[in-house]
Parts: sequence; C-alpha cells; structure tokens
Amino acid sequence: MATYGLLIDYEYCTNCGSCQVSCKEEHGYPVGKTGIAVHADGPWYIDDDNINFNYFPLPTDLCDLCKDRTERGREPICVHHCLANILYYGTVEELSKKLEEKPKQMLIVPQYMPRVAKGEFVHQENATDLHKAAAMDVKGTGASTFGAHRADAKVGEYEEDAV
Amino acid sequence: MELSDYKPAPVVKLDSLSDVNDIGKPWRYEDGDYTVTRTCPWSPPGCHPVGCGLKLYVNEDGRLEHVEGDENHPVTQGRLCPRCITLKDYVYSPARILTPMKRDRSERGNADAWEECSWDEAFAIIKENYERIVAEYGPETIIGMSGTGREGGTMSLYPTMVFGTPNYCYMQSGYACYTPRLAAAAYITGSTYSEWDYAGALPDRWDDERYTLTEVLVMWGKAPLESNPDGFFGHAVVDAMRRGTRLIQIDPRVNWLSARADIFIQLRAGTDTALAMAMLDIIIKEDLYDHEFVEYWCYGFEQLAERVATMPAEKAAEICQVPVEKIYAAARMYAKAKPAAIMWGLAVDQKTDGMQNSQCIIALQAITGNFDRPGGQLVPGADAGHNELGFGYKECIPDELFQKMIGMDQYPAYCNMILNSQCDLMLEALETEKPYPIRMGFYMASNPLSNTSMEPKRWHDALCKSLEFCIGIDLFMNASIQATCDIFLPIATTAEREGTVFTHYAPCTVTAGFMHKAVDCGGLPSDMELAYRLGKYLHPERFSKWANEHELVEAFRLGVENGGKTFDEVSKCVVAQVPIEYYKYEKGLLRQDGQVGFATPTGRVELWSTAYNQFGEDPLPYYIEPEFSPVSKPELVDEYPLILTTGARVTAFFHSENRQIPYTRELNPDPLLEINPKTAQEKGIADGQWVRVWNMFGEALMKAKVTDAVDEKTVHGQHGWWFPEQDGSEPNLYGTFRSQINNLCPNGHMGKLGFGAPNKCLICNVEPVSESYDTDMNLIWEKFGKLV
Repeated sequence: MATYGLLIDYEYCTNCGSCQVSCKEEHGYPVGKTGIAVHADGPWYIDDDNINFNYFPLPTDLCDLCKDRTERGREPICVHHCLANILYYGTVEELSKKLEEKPKQMLIVPQYMPRVAKGEFVHQENATDLHKAAAMDVKGTGASTFGAHRADAKVGEYEEDAV
Repeated sequence: MELSDYKPAPVVKLDSLSDVNDIGKPWRYEDGDYTVTRTCPWSPPGCHPVGCGLKLYVNEDGRLEHVEGDENHPVTQGRLCPRCITLKDYVYSPARILTPMKRDRSERGNADAWEECSWDEAFAIIKENYERIVAEYGPETIIGMSGTGREGGTMSLYPTMVFGTPNYCYMQSGYACYTPRLAAAAYITGSTYSEWDYAGALPDRWDDERYTLTEVLVMWGKAPLESNPDGFFGHAVVDAMRRGTRLIQIDPRVNWLSARADIFIQLRAGTDTALAMAMLDIIIKEDLYDHEFVEYWCYGFEQLAERVATMPAEKAAEICQVPVEKIYAAARMYAKAKPAAIMWGLAVDQKTDGMQNSQCIIALQAITGNFDRPGGQLVPGADAGHNELGFGYKECIPDELFQKMIGMDQYPAYCNMILNSQCDLMLEALETEKPYPIRMGFYMASNPLSNTSMEPKRWHDALCKSLEFCIGIDLFMNASIQATCDIFLPIATTAEREGTVFTHYAPCTVTAGFMHKAVDCGGLPSDMELAYRLGKYLHPERFSKWANEHELVEAFRLGVENGGKTFDEVSKCVVAQVPIEYYKYEKGLLRQDGQVGFATPTGRVELWSTAYNQFGEDPLPYYIEPEFSPVSKPELVDEYPLILTTGARVTAFFHSENRQIPYTRELNPDPLLEINPKTAQEKGIADGQWVRVWNMFGEALMKAKVTDAVDEKTVHGQHGWWFPEQDGSEPNLYGTFRSQINNLCPNGHMGKLGFGAPNKCLICNVEPVSESYDTDMNLIWEKFGKLV
C-alpha cells in the first residue's frame, strides 16, 4: 500500500494558524492538544540585509492525516484551509517529485499515536530463552568497588555490620 | 454593477484541492446527513468585507456542525482563517447572549443587575427614553458609536433613519483608520482608495489574458496577511509572491513579509512622509517617472517637484534613521518596475501628517503611471459605492440639524467626507457639554473601552457621566456595554442572516458576495434587520415603503426595490465577480459626467491639491516630526527613552473580538509587548516576563516577547485586550484597563483637517514586574469550551 504524507512548502508558511485551528475543530481536540502545530524560527538577522524568519507547520502524534476525510477522497482539513496554500497531501511518490521542484520544502509522513501503533508488548521467542541460570558457589571481594559521589563518601570501604 | 452581472464567479481550483470537491455546487445542497449552505460572511464575527467563501454544514436538528472554506470562491478558493474556522464555537458560545436585557441606570457597571426582557419591552423602554431625550434636548444629543469591520459599524441607517441624529461617530481619535486614506484619495484623485490589482475580478485570475503580474509590490505600513485590511484577502500577496512578485517593505517592525522583501526599510516610527517625499524627489531627479502620464493626467507636477526637492534622500535618511542607499534603491526599484503597486496601510493614517503621507503615496502611484494599469493600482470608477454612505441623511436629517454635527465648523473636510462627527471634539462635547450635551448613545459594532478609543478611561468617565440612556447592540457582553448601557439587544451571527458583502467596502470591489441564513438561534436580527425593526417602531413613516427587513436589504445594498425578489434571485450566485475596466480615466469611467479624466476640479490627479488648498491645508506635501518622539521631545528622553508603536494585527483576533473563543485565544493567550533582546537585557526583562509600559497618558501591564521584530529603540504593544473570563463588574470591567495599550495613546493630536492620530508613533518606558498575569487556558476551556 502506498505511503501518504504532507508536503510542506515552508518558504511561504505565514503562521496564520488555520492548520492548527481546523485540525482541532475537525477532531474536537481540546485546548492544549492538536494534530498540527506551527513552530517558529526567527526573526533574527543573518547580516544587515538578510533576516531569517521561518515558520514550520509540523504534524504531531495526533495527526491521522484526516483519515475520515481522505477515505472519502478529500484532502486533510489543514490542506483545505491553509491560507498560503503550502500544504499538499498525497503519496510519498507523488510528493517526492514536487519536492524536487523548489527549495525550502519538506516531506513528512506522520504517525498517529505511535505508541499505540506499535501495539501491545508481546514477547517473541528467541535463542536466549533456552539459557537457564547455572547453580554455582560465589565468594565476596571484601571491598566496595564504587562509592557515591559525595564529599563524605569513602570509596572502597563498606560497613561490615550492615551486611 | 448590472443585475445581469450577478452570476456565479468562475472557479479557479487550487492545486492542493482534491479531485473530490464541491466545485459547481449550488447555493444550498445536501451532503450525507447535512444540508450545506454556501455563503460569504460579513460579520459578526467582525471582519472587513472580504466575504471569503464559506460552506456551513447543518444537521437534521438545524444545528451548525461543521464549517469549511468554499472552493467555489474565486479569490479565497476554499481557504479560511481561524476566525471563521471557529464560527461554530462563536455561534454556540456559552457566553453568547440570546435574549434582550434591561438594567436600571443606577446599576450601570453591575454585571449581576441585568434582567432578561422581551423584545417588546426592550423596544418600549427605548422608545420612552428616546422620545423624552429628543423632546428635552434635541435629536443631535444622540450619538451612534461605531467601530470597524462589522457591517453594523458602517450603517448610517442607524443614526439617520432610526434615531434621526447627525452624530454618527467612529470612536477612534482622528478617524485614524482607512478613512484618512480614502479622503486623501478622494480629494486628490476624485476617486477613493486605490487597491492593488490582484486579479480578483478577472475570470482566470492570475492567468487572465487581461492581467499582467505585478513586478514590485510596496508594503507601506501594512501587514495584510494578518489583517485582511478593508476587505482585501491578505494572502493574495503570498499568491503573487509565489508567482514572482517582488517586495519592498516599509515598516518599523519586522514581519514575515519583511524577511522576504528585496528591500526592507525599517524606518523610525512615524517618519514615513519624509521617506515618501525623498522617494518622489529621487524618481523625479533621476527622470524615472512616466512622462506621458504626468503631462496629460497630472496637475501641479512642477510645484510637487519643487516641494519634494526640500527633502533629499540624505535628509530623509537622517530623519527616518535608515541607510540612505536603501532609500535610493527602493525608489529606483519601484519606479523601474511595471506594473508596480503600493499597498498603503493603517500606519499611514496613524500619524499627524497622515494626509500628507497619503498625498505622497498617491503622487508616487500617479507619476510612475501605475494608476488603473493591470497589476498596478485599481482606481474606483464612477459607479463605485454599494455600501451607500449617505443613506437616510436626505430624508431624516434636515440641513439645520445636519449642520449641528459635532465638528462641522472646525473640520468640514472630515465631517462632510465621512458624514461623521469629529471624534476628538465629540469626546470634548461629552466632557464639557459644549456646544451641547450628549444624552443618549447606542453602539454600532463597537467596543471603545477595549479597542476603538484612545485614553479609554476618559471616554468611560465621559460616557457614564453624560449619557442618560444607552443601548448595547452585540452578541457578547463587553466592557463598554457593561459600563455604560441600560439595554442590551442581541444580534445574529453571519450564519443566521442574509445580506451582501462587497469587497473593500465597495470602492475597487472585485467580488460581490451574499450571505445566506443557515441556522436560527431564536430569530435574532442582523444589524440591518434590527435597524428595520427598531426604526419602524420609532418612526413607522420612514420605513413604511418596505414591507419587511428583506426589502430594506435589497434597497440598501442593491439599490433596487422589487419586493425582495431581485435579492432572492441574484443572491443565489453566492459570489460574483464585478466587471472591471482598466485605464478608466481614458474612457470617461471615473466621472459622473462621463468625460475623460479624473473627477477633480482640474480633471487630473492633483499633485498640487485644490481641495487641500480650499480646506486651508497646504496643497503640497510636507513632513511633520511626530509630536511625541525622541527628536521632538528631547527633554523627555530620560523619562521615556523608547518609541512606542501599537496595533499590529494577528490572525487570532479581529480587534477586541474572539478572546472568548478557546481555539483562537490559544493562538495568542496574553497581551504581548515586543521588545528587542538588547533593550530587554538592559531593562532586566526576560522573555515571557510581565512588564509595565507607561508614558504621560497612562500605563498597561503586558507580557514581554523578546524579539528582533523590533529594533533597540522601539517597542510594539498589541491592542484590543480585555479578558472575558474575568469579573465584568466595575471597576474591573473584564480587566479592560489592565493591559490596555490605548491607555498610552492620546486624543486630540490630529492633523489640520481633523484626520490622523499618533497611535503608531509615541514614546514610553518599560520596566519588569514580579507578578505574572498569565492566562490559564484551562480556565478558558472550562468557561467557554463547552458549547450550548
């Protein structure tokens, strides 16, 4: 199955907030949670004439690429509402071609709830399962090898009474 | 615009839009369980008349469930900003008021003293007070207090036909928003504000055969991406940039566009007129102007050349504190480009010499031959004006009453131009009862104590003292209504109403849109419908020619009277493009008499202004140092070492609106003061720390944003702040005075014609405070997140 993602032409992201707010409306995410957020870098001066000032809309772990919409053939709601029209939805293959057209773009494949996507932990049988711990006699060294990093710690000494 | 022009605009599909889309859908259609209504909103919520395309999804229970941008709109093409994306939250906000309320005058300021009442009772109370006040003091003692953006603020119908007062008053000192620019353009060119031609009216948009892409766009004191100024879809600038348009940015503050401009002139706030004169001087001296246009279509070029020669680039560079080579480079780049356009913003109005700043910008546009050139400046034609400014004056305001308008004697260029009382003199009238007392008021989409008015405490005291009766008309309670009103009338949102929206407040209109009613929240009226209902109740004779509100909308907005049928028919197009012509001055399309030329006394663009001259103003541009600056007030530099500029827009809010909408508030939870890292360090201010900012007019507490967006000598304060989550009663009034940057902005410092205010070029000082006033977004969510 093809992998879908978002192509972001961040040269023209203006930080209008439409992606974030649409996403929250679409999914009903409360204050403090969102499927996409805009990150800022700048303004700062590179030199007297050049200013670095970029915004980056980045999907979060709550981005499901608007599954309900894309299943109906629609684009994700952030793509629909983006005021600067800098978000594109498609397969990585299609978007990769677009990525070559100009600089200051990025292609992102988000994952919805990655911890959940990994599934429940299930032990996989492997070669180490066969190793059983051996029954053997052990003698002490009589000294502590490591001490705490404290001014009053005496490295190498231990209180015999405490053992 | 002919009635036959109201046909669905051709659609230009965005490349990001899926092939599964709603292109070609009618004004209303079914989609699964939803009835979808296509509409072009124009307030409330407040916004300038852009009329973006909107699809409203309503379920079987008649409830708005989903809002989406309409891809059928030729300019917005499905795109939408956060304020309409959250429309559902605005419509069903738990803070919204759906029933009229009354309160005894002695209880003003007590948030708990309101009692719900019927519309009949509310109207009866209004009638009783209105008739008493008119009989006792005269109709001129009534003030219609207007704000910006919402349709209600533009409706002269309210003061004229409903209340019969000449004192319609926009509540901002010097009307320092758009109107000074409109007035300057009207006086100098005979047409109002010339908008950049962004192909909005052309069927194939940017690729239309009649269009040529703008080579150079000058952003002069304007941040259109955030503000969608005066009905302009801000992101059209980005559309053009992506096609190759290059920028020159003139602003004391770095914004996103500055970083992408070929030339960024970060001038000292308020010195724009010096810069503009110098650019004119360079273009004239270096012979970069359009000789034919100047010779055949301009008046007073020699005198202008002589005047601007007094402001050589070197002198301007010193005044503006910018490198002189940048001024030369900007003048040359702009003059050599064709087509080129200047987008001139609010900063032009917000200074004492704003009318001169406009005069220079118009001269730049004219002598470079960019007037009415495709991709240049679109000039409003003789047929402009669907938002009829003069509506109701003739029938309802006899001349003798009209002449009583506050300010008519001193500022006729202001009062006659916009048919408004002069705001600063209105404040004096409220305070002194001279030339006569002001006894009754009503709000026309305005929240002056939190946003529109300067020195809002002065306005607060004056309104509370002087008004015997005051009516609040809004959707939410706010500080102004809480402090001053005795009656509250609730109105409909854009989702609950019909109406029209003509871009750019009607001059240079590129699209004509229609609002369609999708939901009902208790039969609440729009401002227009309320004016009809209340007007008919107070003055049945004035409204008898319209059988209902619907007919009034048709008459007011379409200029036809056909029992509402014409409106019903044409409104189904949802959005139409307005036919435009280029080079109208050569075609006799700028003047009522149909002759070629401009609608000015000389028939030309008056670089030497006969109108300014007639009003006693200098006919040629001149620079005035801002009245409050380190240069004009060196004795105050120790006390107020920083330049204060205010009011840059953000997409989260329309002025004082949207703060009770959690998703927009989350984008900008606190009132920010931008301060340069070096200045912050000197003052001991950390990023995110709260600070006190103050000057001789007042103070405010704001949250520091340490950023290179401003230089070391300048700070910028956000405007419009109040806190709907806080206690509304006096004296707190939703905290409206706590973080109010307008506390630091004076009244009474306008230019000679009564226009302009120094809101973007003042002085101040800043110090850190130890307390934090950070907004608790969880509280906002708890209070406003649960829709009703």
